[in-house]
Amino acid sequence: MHEVTSRSLGHPARALHWLAGLFFGLALVFAIVAWTVGDVFFFRLGTEALIFAGLALSVDLLLGRTGLLPLGQALFFGMGAYVSALVLKNWSSSFWIAIAVALVFSAITGLIGGLIAIRSKGVYFALISFGLAQVVSKIIFNTRELGASDGMIGVPVAQIAPGLESGQPAGFFLVVLSILFILYAGLAYLMETPFGRQLGAVRTNEQRLSFLGVDPWRTKLAAFVGAACIAGVSGALYPMLRGFVSPELMFFQVSGNAVINVIVGGTGTLIGPVYGSALLTVLRSVVGSYTAHHQIVIGILFILVVIVLPRGLIGLAAPALQERLGRREGAVRTPILHAEHPQ
Amino acid sequence: MDWIQFVLAPQIVNGLAIGVAVVLMALGLTIIFGLLDVINMAHGEFYAIGAYVAVALLGAGLTFWWALALTPLLMALIGYVTERSLIQRVFHSKDRHTLTLLLTFGIGIVLEDILKLVFGANPLRVEAPISGATEMLGLFFPNYRLFVMGLGASIIIAVWVLVFRTSLGAMVRAAAFDRQMTASLGVPVNRVYAATFAFGVALAGVSGVLLAPIYSVFPTMGRDFVLIAFSVVIIGGMGSIKGAVIAGLLLTQIQSISSLFISPVWGDPLLFGIMVLVLMWRPQGLFGRLGHA
Amino acid sequence: MSASPILQANELTVRFGHLVAVRDVSFNAQQGAITAVIGPNGAGKSTLFNLISGAIRPNAGQVMFQGREVTGLSPHQMLGQGLARSFQITNLFFELPVRENLRLAAQFLEQGRGLFRPVSASQIACKRVDELIEQFQLGPVADEMAGFLSHGEQRRLEIAVALASRPRLLLLDEPTQGMSHSDTHRTEALIRSLVGPSLSVLLVEHDVDLVMNLSDHVVVMHQGQKLAEGPPQVVRANPAVQAAYFGESPHD
Repeated sequence: MHEVTSRSLGHPARALHWLAGLFFGLALVFAIVAWTVGDVFFFRLGTEALIFAGLALSVDLLLGRTGLLPLGQALFFGMGAYVSALVLKNWSSSFWIAIAVALVFSAITGLIGGLIAIRSKGVYFALISFGLAQVVSKIIFNTRELGASDGMIGVPVAQIAPGLESGQPAGFFLVVLSILFILYAGLAYLMETPFGRQLGAVRTNEQRLSFLGVDPWRTKLAAFVGAACIAGVSGALYPMLRGFVSPELMFFQVSGNAVINVIVGGTGTLIGPVYGSALLTVLRSVVGSYTAHHQIVIGILFILVVIVLPRGLIGLAAPALQERLGRREGAVRTPILHAEHPQ
Repeated sequence: MDWIQFVLAPQIVNGLAIGVAVVLMALGLTIIFGLLDVINMAHGEFYAIGAYVAVALLGAGLTFWWALALTPLLMALIGYVTERSLIQRVFHSKDRHTLTLLLTFGIGIVLEDILKLVFGANPLRVEAPISGATEMLGLFFPNYRLFVMGLGASIIIAVWVLVFRTSLGAMVRAAAFDRQMTASLGVPVNRVYAATFAFGVALAGVSGVLLAPIYSVFPTMGRDFVLIAFSVVIIGGMGSIKGAVIAGLLLTQIQSISSLFISPVWGDPLLFGIMVLVLMWRPQGLFGRLGHA
Repeated sequence: MSASPILQANELTVRFGHLVAVRDVSFNAQQGAITAVIGPNGAGKSTLFNLISGAIRPNAGQVMFQGREVTGLSPHQMLGQGLARSFQITNLFFELPVRENLRLAAQFLEQGRGLFRPVSASQIACKRVDELIEQFQLGPVADEMAGFLSHGEQRRLEIAVALASRPRLLLLDEPTQGMSHSDTHRTEALIRSLVGPSLSVLLVEHDVDLVMNLSDHVVVMHQGQKLAEGPPQVVRANPAVQAAYFGESPHD
């Protein structure tokens, strides 16, 4: 029986897995080097990059795989952060409990948000996503119990395991890296299941999919909830790293940056957004040390990518790599779309 | 009765002033969509730039009236250049809708940060050029707001006339309807597109100038305002001028009056909620597209 | 032919604004038979098709399938009932290979099992794909992107995709659209071979000769209404039908 792999579906799977392995390998190398040098700053920066990589994965699940552009995904990220902070401050300092509560909360809010947003497509979905984030962030901004505009500080360190807690730069970096790995591997696996293929089909030809017996609404809703959970879990890690949360975590800046990370990295490749987050977080930090106006640089870079390189960095690198890895049908061609019949 | 006279009526009038400015902004957005089929995610930033250009001109010693007259021209220039140099590059690709959305989104981010760079992040105040109030029916209405209403209404009518009663407007509508046909009739379609974008951007800029004395001027003002503009456009019907006008006035009235009963913080969520409901039950909005409005 | 019709359309009416696209149309499609709907341009055939397949809802009337009412069900629900359709304008997943197009359609046979297991674990679906590739002679292009196929191959794939879920009634919308003569004959034979006790076919066609050769039962539409219904010879001899088709020039 012949197996259809992602390679023939336009995503050169072998190259992508190789690139993913490369990323995690490099991350481990980085960890070893930084640990021997006794560094703290770069560990913290790296952990932050990985946390935002999780958010980028959540955006890519929607944008690259389901064809929905979320301009307000920071909503779930920020809510996950707040929930985690509340748990750690008021209930338990257990890392696992905080994550679990954030996960459940994200699933519920993701379901509600999805029911509102999924009926719409294209720009309407983008605007609803954007609007939801604007509205909720404004509400939290004005809620004194949640710290209003200042947010909440003094979030205690999270206990992960005996002797391992989130205050340890190297240890927490590895924990977050592992979580990111699980998220990535889970998503990569999902894409090779019938459900994952349905997502891709929704993106290419939603109408036809419904005539094949699949309810596209349910598929999209499931993807939306899944993405909300991924964003929420990533967000839950944030207060463990920084010790505070603020409404800015839900602001458009965060959502916008996530979309930029995905597009620059390579929409739909899953590992591309991870690379994109890492690169751009570091870039923002570097440029940010010279000027407060790093968004201009990032924005211009983004515009260039959209115009010149819409497939993103990994989107460009992977097919080239695939060919070098020796498979014959590695090159990804763009088929002629018969939009109307020839006569 | 007193309540109507002293509480409700002023609220309505104030709402009308804002409403007119919102309509101008929504008009720009809906015209750009109706013709170019482009979702201008940077529209809020152009609105903000309009306000800042006015601030700069005022700072250079010009009067408010000069600023009001010059800003649209400068905005049109900025819009024209943006369209020709950036937007047209992705215009012909297969993924046009997503790419233009993302592109304008990126442009918006850059523009916002440029504003922060040039003018700083702190809010600026602009003096209203007309002070005092007029008494009508036993109430006092701020003269500046009356002016905004009057000027705004004139501009809206002028836009309507331009689009539906002039041959220029007919040309633009034709290009919206059928690009190739119009091009083969000798119309310079690319320039028409750029000019239309410029026009829409100029409208946003005028809105920014007019509202500057009412709200303060700060770099993220566009971000907050654009959601209202988009809500109006969607509820009115993307591409419909009539829709933008009616929905704009109606929604700002709803917001204005509701602020008497609920905290103003809920004003935007209310509009947004209405937009979501409209999208769920009547996604095409109240009215149709530009070509047939 | 069995006695009970597999599909019954009762007084279907659809309006688009002021235009009545389909008016009070009733007809039967027999089990195990090929029923064809024909008519000049603008007769409402495609609209009727969209009504029956769930793409649009009627303003009035019902559609009964195997004795059950299916009026107004959404497309995916229709497929669940056993009604599958192909499209006049080829509507495949052009960026996906032929195999994947078929697999997506055949996945229905798994009834939701294995949704989160690897694709290769869906044995039933994979077997069905191999069957279809052979039946429709798509072997040489099985791993090509659907967008790269020739027009004739794409039209065959259209039908194969519709057939993948083993429907009881197959709705074919102008299956030989744009095909060459040899392809048309091949498709005609193919459709003939498909029909049996477990599969009935309802097709919309332009090619009157094909229809007369192929079908057991013909429904003629004209300007949104049913003009005639019956075996091909009877319908062909009907003077009103002749007038509609050959008497006046069809216009939109």
